Amino acid sequence: MSSLIDARRLTKIYNVEGVATNALIEANFTIQPGEFVSIMGPSGSGKSTLLNLIGLLDRPTSGQYFFGGEDVADFSDQELTRLRNQKIGFIFQAFHLLPRATVMENVMLPLYYSSVSPREYHHRAQAVLEQIGMSHRLRHLPYQLSGGERQRVAIARALINEPSLVLADEPTGNLDSQNGKMVMDLIDELHEQGHTVIVITHETPTAEYAGRIIKLYDGRIVSDAPAEHTHQHYTK
Amino acid sequence: MRLSIAAKTALAALRGNLGRSLLTILGIVIGIVAIVLVVAIGQGAQSLILSQVESIGGNALVIRPGRQPTGAADIANTVYSDSLKDKDIIALSNPNNVPGLASIDPAVIVPGNVSYQNNIFRPLIFGWTADAMAEIFNIYPATGSYFTNDDIKQNAKVAIIGWHVKDQLFGESPAINQLVTVHQQKMRVVAVLPKTGQLSGFNVDDIVILPYTTAQKEILGIDYFQEVIAKAKPGADINQVAADVKATLREMHNITDPAKDDFFVLTQQDIVDRISTVTQVLTIFLVSIAAISLLVGGVGIMNIMLVSVTERIKEIGLRKAVGASQRDIMQQFLLEAVFLTFSGGLIGTIIAISISLLIVVVIRTQYNLDWPLTIPLGAIALGVGMAVSVGLLFGLYPARQAAKKDPIDALRHE
Repeated sequence: MSSLIDARRLTKIYNVEGVATNALIEANFTIQPGEFVSIMGPSGSGKSTLLNLIGLLDRPTSGQYFFGGEDVADFSDQELTRLRNQKIGFIFQAFHLLPRATVMENVMLPLYYSSVSPREYHHRAQAVLEQIGMSHRLRHLPYQLSGGERQRVAIARALINEPSLVLADEPTGNLDSQNGKMVMDLIDELHEQGHTVIVITHETPTAEYAGRIIKLYDGRIVSDAPAEHTHQHYTK
Repeated sequence: MRLSIAAKTALAALRGNLGRSLLTILGIVIGIVAIVLVVAIGQGAQSLILSQVESIGGNALVIRPGRQPTGAADIANTVYSDSLKDKDIIALSNPNNVPGLASIDPAVIVPGNVSYQNNIFRPLIFGWTADAMAEIFNIYPATGSYFTNDDIKQNAKVAIIGWHVKDQLFGESPAINQLVTVHQQKMRVVAVLPKTGQLSGFNVDDIVILPYTTAQKEILGIDYFQEVIAKAKPGADINQVAADVKATLREMHNITDPAKDDFFVLTQQDIVDRISTVTQVLTIFLVSIAAISLLVGGVGIMNIMLVSVTERIKEIGLRKAVGASQRDIMQQFLLEAVFLTFSGGLIGTIIAISISLLIVVVIRTQYNLDWPLTIPLGAIALGVGMAVSVGLLFGLYPARQAAKKDPIDALRHE
């Protein structure tokens, strides 16, 4: 059992006012440490539902989900929160930076909820900002940055707790193609440094950075195969 | 999340919205100002009144006709208002009856004006002894000299006048040996008192003192007293003296049942206790009213916190996604509410103390009263404590709303 992620017949049914909607139906897949996987599909295909389940933001209606070899069904909300903080780095389409906090403070945010000593906060934030090439913007506020720079700050925030999984939800959705490429190159670099990366997207050029693409349609996995070509055709 | 970081986060959020934060705490500021001010003024008034009562001296007794009133509808004291007479004073002066008594000074109140030529003034006119001024209040004439016990025996038509009375009637010209008119009777001014101000509930500058016999027989045609001030010998047990006074008067009035007393005796301690009770009840009453405004301020805080939770729903979602627990979010919003109300409490306290300082200055200069400046530490602690409790109480609901937000919905909120 060395898989980082092991989903077995993972199903999520939303019940809105008595009407059941099958958002995800019996998804089976495993993801190994160090893999770079894209999850693709049109809107309504169950991508977001799967992201929430993988990211421990939601619980499945049925089926099993093992994260790092452990069945998360046994975990309390408190333990899931701790796992998200320690093991998962989130990257969002809308960046979700705190508007009144500096680059430095935004990057440090996950540390506030960890057991890391406050004396290490600055040191660690500086290190990840250097790694993604944003160390010249420490005291800037988000509105003073370009979209691409904001997403790089968000990536630094995702890395600060040294997570075992980087989970990106449409990371290029709010960016132009040039910035999108820069962000994806950076994510690809993280993968090459050994991070496990999952990118959820509906854009083929973004998806093709991955070594493996899982395609969803109407809540079902319709294909799970190695990518045919990797990041040579990034156009938008 | 560490408390220090939570505190920094909460402070940063409040600073980021400084204008709104200040408006939000206005209600709390007003509530705290009201509470601290009421307590400060209440304490000042109480100590002023008490210091005046205490100027009578710890060994003084006040004997009044009538019964100690048991309530507003009790008319017994008016029924017995003529119960203290000359023979009672003579009996009390007998050392066999009240061995601890040093002096006894009966008083009669004369309603009306005093005039000199065309000048008319309405002072407090007492029929009294001059000894009372000298021995009890330690006040001696600025000019002239007090009338004597012989003057009292002879119903002499003489008067001691206060500084302000002299000023109103005579201006700069000398008053001694001039004749003033009280109830169509000419009284010769024998003494003018020094400028003194308030003392024991009346203004010494506004009084006219006649021999009590003159007031009784020549002016009012009565044979009783409205008040008798007795002084115990130094070292005498004041309670024993009071008991002896009561026993003597009961014997004089043929009273066997103390419940049917037609007089009552107050020691300084009795008066202090009664005044304290009244001012304390008043203060509690006023503080309760002021507390309502604090409550209204609390509702304002809750309202703004709820708006803030809705506005910052994405922030809440993000914090939860990256590892904030419900407790962390709750703590953050509760701290914001408590910081708001705490600073409101501090600002309110500072304003209230400044206002009470101003009041002290005005009262001292305008009314020449020895109003003490009291900084009510109890009221400050109460005010700030109440402010913090209001923050906790009214911050709880918005903080819970924030903590319960689902991170998925919160992040996708548009």
